[in-house]
Amino acid sequence: MKKKRVPMVVSFGVLAAMFFGAHSASAQEAPHRIEITAKRFSYEPSEITVKKGQPVVLVIKSLDTAHGLRFRELNLNVTIGKNGAGELSFTPDKAGDFTGHCSVFCGSGHGGMSLMLHVVN
Amino acid sequence: MRRRSVLFAVVCATGLSGCKATQPPGKLETETVNYAKHHFFIGNRSEKNPLPYTPQNWQDGKEAFSHYCIACHGMDGQNTGVPFADHISPPIPSLASAEVQSYTDGQLKWILDYGIRPSGMPGSSGTLSDDELWSIVLYIRHLPPAGSQGVPEMYTH
Repeated sequence: MKKKRVPMVVSFGVLAAMFFGAHSASAQEAPHRIEITAKRFSYEPSEITVKKGQPVVLVIKSLDTAHGLRFRELNLNVTIGKNGAGELSFTPDKAGDFTGHCSVFCGSGHGGMSLMLHVVN
Repeated sequence: MRRRSVLFAVVCATGLSGCKATQPPGKLETETVNYAKHHFFIGNRSEKNPLPYTPQNWQDGKEAFSHYCIACHGMDGQNTGVPFADHISPPIPSLASAEVQSYTDGQLKWILDYGIRPSGMPGSSGTLSDDELWSIVLYIRHLPPAGSQGVPEMYTH
């Protein structure tokens, strides 16, 4: 009886290891990196789409003065120095459209400098 | 013909004397203009501020206010340190005054968006985002004590 149980236990252990191993690998999924350039008074691209639950890194590079990018609804903000770069790392947990604005006053068109983030299921 | 010339001269003299910015407007002019602004000229009476009062939103408003509002209104919104506040016509009102505080939030946002012609108050739509403008409305509603924020840096040297 004991001998019969051993293969069962081993099989169960292998299956469990496979399941949890796969789960762990998916939890450490490499983030989706998106490069964005910022210059007076726009972002390029001006719209991006990401998946809910998928880690994202927005890499923002300024081509002129200091800028920023803030999504108030998502409680995210990054500021970038003159000709510098910054990153915004997050995992979107809700689907929808979110508008990000430049968070560092950069001149007369600052108020219209925005980026649309689409989070899809 | 002579009558017309005299009338023309009087109108011109009145107009030119009206260009002087050193004389404060009279009480009648002030009250009439204030009434007209509150009831006819400044729109958007019913729009509510989408931003609730929180320390962070207030801080955002203070930061947005500091971009260039402080040049005329001072750091505290009460003209502290602004050397010409009383020397232009109409004088720059304290944002803590009843004249300003009696506008609705929507009207304050309208003024920030479009300015008030010909008072010198510029519109900021496009220069500041809606978010920033609403946070400024929040700051105006909860101004710090007069003089507590110091003098704008541009007037210190």
